[in-house]
Amino acid sequence: MPHTDQSVRQPRPLVPVMLALLGALVTWGLAWGAPQAPQVGQPAPPFAIADTAGKTWNLADLKGKTVILEWTNDGCPYVRKHYGGGNMQALQREATAAGKVWLTVISSAPGNQGHVTAAAADQLTAERKAAPSAVLLDPTGTMGRAYGAKTTPHLFITDPAGTLVYMGAIDDRPSSDPADLPGARNYVRAALADLDAGRPLADAVTRPYGCSVKY
Amino acid sequence: MGRRLMHLFRPGAPGGAVLRSVRRDALRCGCSLAAWAMAWPALLLAPLLAWGSPVSTENVTAHLLAEHNPVVPGQPLELLLSLNIRPGWHTYWRNPGDSGEAPRIDWTLPPGVSAGALQFPAPALIRVGPLANFGYSGRALHPVRLSIPADWPVGAPIPVRAEAHWLVCEEHCVPESAVLELTLNTAAAAGPSDPPAREAFAQARAGLPAGTLGGATLTPTPGGLRLSLPRAGLGEAPTAVRFFPWSWGLIEPAAEQPWRLTADRLELDLTPGETAGTADPGGLLTLTGADGAVRSFEVDATRPLPAQAPPGITAPSAPALGLPLALGLAFLGGLILNLMPCVFPVLAIKALSLAGQGGLSARERGAHGLAYTAGVLVFFAALTAVLLAVRAGGTAIGWGFQLQYPPFVAIMAYVFLVLGLSLAGAVTLGGRLMGLAGGEVGGGSAGAFGTGALAALVAAPCTAPFMGAALGYALTLAWPLALAILLALGLGLAAPFLALSLTPGLARRLPRPGAWMEHLKQLLAFPMFATAAWLLWVLSVQTGPAGLALVLAGMLAASFGLWARERTAMAGRSWRRAGEGAALAGLAMALWLGFATADSMAPQQSGAAAAPQAGLAAQPYAPERLAQARAQGRPVFVNMTAAWCITCLVNERVALSAAGVAAAFRAADLLYLKGDWTGRDPQIGDYLAGFGRTGVPLYVYYPAGGEPRVLPQILTPAIVLAALGSAVGAPR
Repeated sequence: MPHTDQSVRQPRPLVPVMLALLGALVTWGLAWGAPQAPQVGQPAPPFAIADTAGKTWNLADLKGKTVILEWTNDGCPYVRKHYGGGNMQALQREATAAGKVWLTVISSAPGNQGHVTAAAADQLTAERKAAPSAVLLDPTGTMGRAYGAKTTPHLFITDPAGTLVYMGAIDDRPSSDPADLPGARNYVRAALADLDAGRPLADAVTRPYGCSVKY
Repeated sequence: MGRRLMHLFRPGAPGGAVLRSVRRDALRCGCSLAAWAMAWPALLLAPLLAWGSPVSTENVTAHLLAEHNPVVPGQPLELLLSLNIRPGWHTYWRNPGDSGEAPRIDWTLPPGVSAGALQFPAPALIRVGPLANFGYSGRALHPVRLSIPADWPVGAPIPVRAEAHWLVCEEHCVPESAVLELTLNTAAAAGPSDPPAREAFAQARAGLPAGTLGGATLTPTPGGLRLSLPRAGLGEAPTAVRFFPWSWGLIEPAAEQPWRLTADRLELDLTPGETAGTADPGGLLTLTGADGAVRSFEVDATRPLPAQAPPGITAPSAPALGLPLALGLAFLGGLILNLMPCVFPVLAIKALSLAGQGGLSARERGAHGLAYTAGVLVFFAALTAVLLAVRAGGTAIGWGFQLQYPPFVAIMAYVFLVLGLSLAGAVTLGGRLMGLAGGEVGGGSAGAFGTGALAALVAAPCTAPFMGAALGYALTLAWPLALAILLALGLGLAAPFLALSLTPGLARRLPRPGAWMEHLKQLLAFPMFATAAWLLWVLSVQTGPAGLALVLAGMLAASFGLWARERTAMAGRSWRRAGEGAALAGLAMALWLGFATADSMAPQQSGAAAAPQAGLAAQPYAPERLAQARAQGRPVFVNMTAAWCITCLVNERVALSAAGVAAAFRAADLLYLKGDWTGRDPQIGDYLAGFGRTGVPLYVYYPAGGEPRVLPQILTPAIVLAALGSAVGAPR
């Protein structure tokens, strides 16, 4: 049977190079996971953000403690409703007294409402008699976007293992009227109580309300 | 009378004639002139009767309008809250989107008078950085129904007090409110409406939904959520489409909504929100026409399957495969592929060709192995890229989808025929890329690369029957992970040959080349022919006898052309040219006939007309049949199959045709639904996607009144009976 007679060719260096490129592509594909939107029951998105004193707060370092994240913007009427009535400060005091970590986050971009310098932020905290463990400054919006923070106020709670357990509003009265404070069901207080008792949360995901975060 | 006076002021009116007419009329209508003069202030005030006094806040001027004044007690009446918004600022729709608050009214009305809810015309999408709101700029109009009891004394005025609250934002947000008061007079006949009020009401009503669109479904897809509506009732094709859900959490407001019009449906791809699995699936659909006019419709979508968890959480009986496990499974699957009749001959020939080349150094052998691996990986990478591109375009694709396209099946049948002929020795496929001629390593590394790509090509259809789990999972992932899994499959496919080529001392281990190699090569032609025969059978199911005839004729043409080339290969130049020409003509004819099969689709075989099974009467799958049976509390067994799916056929012969199973189905009054995915039925594609699958087989058992259970892909009668039995004993 006729067959073509091919001469044996030298192995080409191109082939191993191609293979190496393919291998790199596969490795890169494995290493780079698609960013997932935060989900209750999944590990909370990591962050490493500096507070007003310049100290960097890392979620990984906070393992073993319950962490509450509160997005704020002091010019927003909905934030003022809670701070003006002392509601937010009382909640902060309760949480920090129980050994939990309360981090207030400001994700407003420079030039936008809510953006403050570190000194101004400290002054605000003193004026409002707020009691967070720290105020984190996130002017690039990295942490806000990682958590999908949409409104001010927007609250997130992670348990000591670092799992996200609550995300949403502070209470069930989505208005800016301070008259709506008494009698409102405070989701954060209820969630912290459920966590302490070891119960599954009655409300784990609620609709956050407020002004949009000024990225 | 008034018209006469107006003539006085008409430019160019001849003064004398007018004055004469005025004098004449004045003498005749002295009384009516006096009456008219007294009525003039009332006429001036008439517009204000329909409008409450406006209230201006810093950013908004609010009005409360009545459509008519006076009104008739007992007749329906509409008021309108009109918010004129400062440029650059906006108010909100009933679902404000990522942030914000919709306007509301606190009414103070006399007893017996009641007001309905604020109505909201179609909103616009207002982007705020990475977030988005649903709201209004310029002017927001909100009609409200007011009902007045029929026994209201005619002539008694109705004082209406509305305390309106709204949030208006630009970059900052300002909650504002206004007290709007309006006094409605009552009369036996409705009063007139003035043009500005009429215009405002007309504009408000034009913004309200034109109707409700029925038949909408919301289904989870690998990419998110798909809203699908019947195209009938939409009118002309729109240039832009947007879906605004009633509730928060169903979708991400800021996400793009790619949409497409098919022959009979409009489909939108939505990005799920935080509570996509449980939020109300209804909303407002806005369509922008070619002229820029916006129409809106209410949409009450249904979720065809029981509330699915949002994508990312797989069905309970198929726990999400961890990535390392999926990679391992894919690698294993690739290894197993080497044994399949599609791939085995190629691998065997290639391996033997290594043995035949005693003159190659270990390095050269290793390079061949790497080139072969590269060929396999590049092919799989290219195939993945194509599949992901198609998925990104929104089509629900599955692994094995290519076998739903008759021309592809036809061409693959040709490939296997020609490869078989080559192995049998009837045809010489020389050249550097094939490397099969004469069992030699043709063309060095380039030949090895080509053989690798060929191995991957012939392996691809053979993965469809057996690789459902890993590949279905892979195609739902982000593209780097999907690519990684497919490449792991390729590595598994290439691994045996790579191992052989890299093993030192290979030449010593393998038997000496001899005549037996030629005989083995010819023997290996038959698995190739067997694969071609299988593909012809698949084609016959898809296209019927007509398509089969076309492809058989194509095979005849290709074979003849190749034989002619073979016969003339050693003859003179002009003969050789003639032979090559004949081969090309034959192949071209075969290709053309292969593509012609795309038009000859066999009528969709109903499940009952397919291979009859003793004792099991199947009904063709339809979502309505499933929903109806579930509503009736009847258990259902769904079997999704396809003609090319060998596992499906084996399962049907072994498990589903067993007498015990048939008896159990009858005893439970089970509805047996069989879906045939050979022809790419989109309803079946959606059903598969609902369980996170892109391929068949899929077996789902719905116990009466219970949650669906997905059965394993390899069935035995025991598995099926256990699934039925465990539910039969369960309390209803």
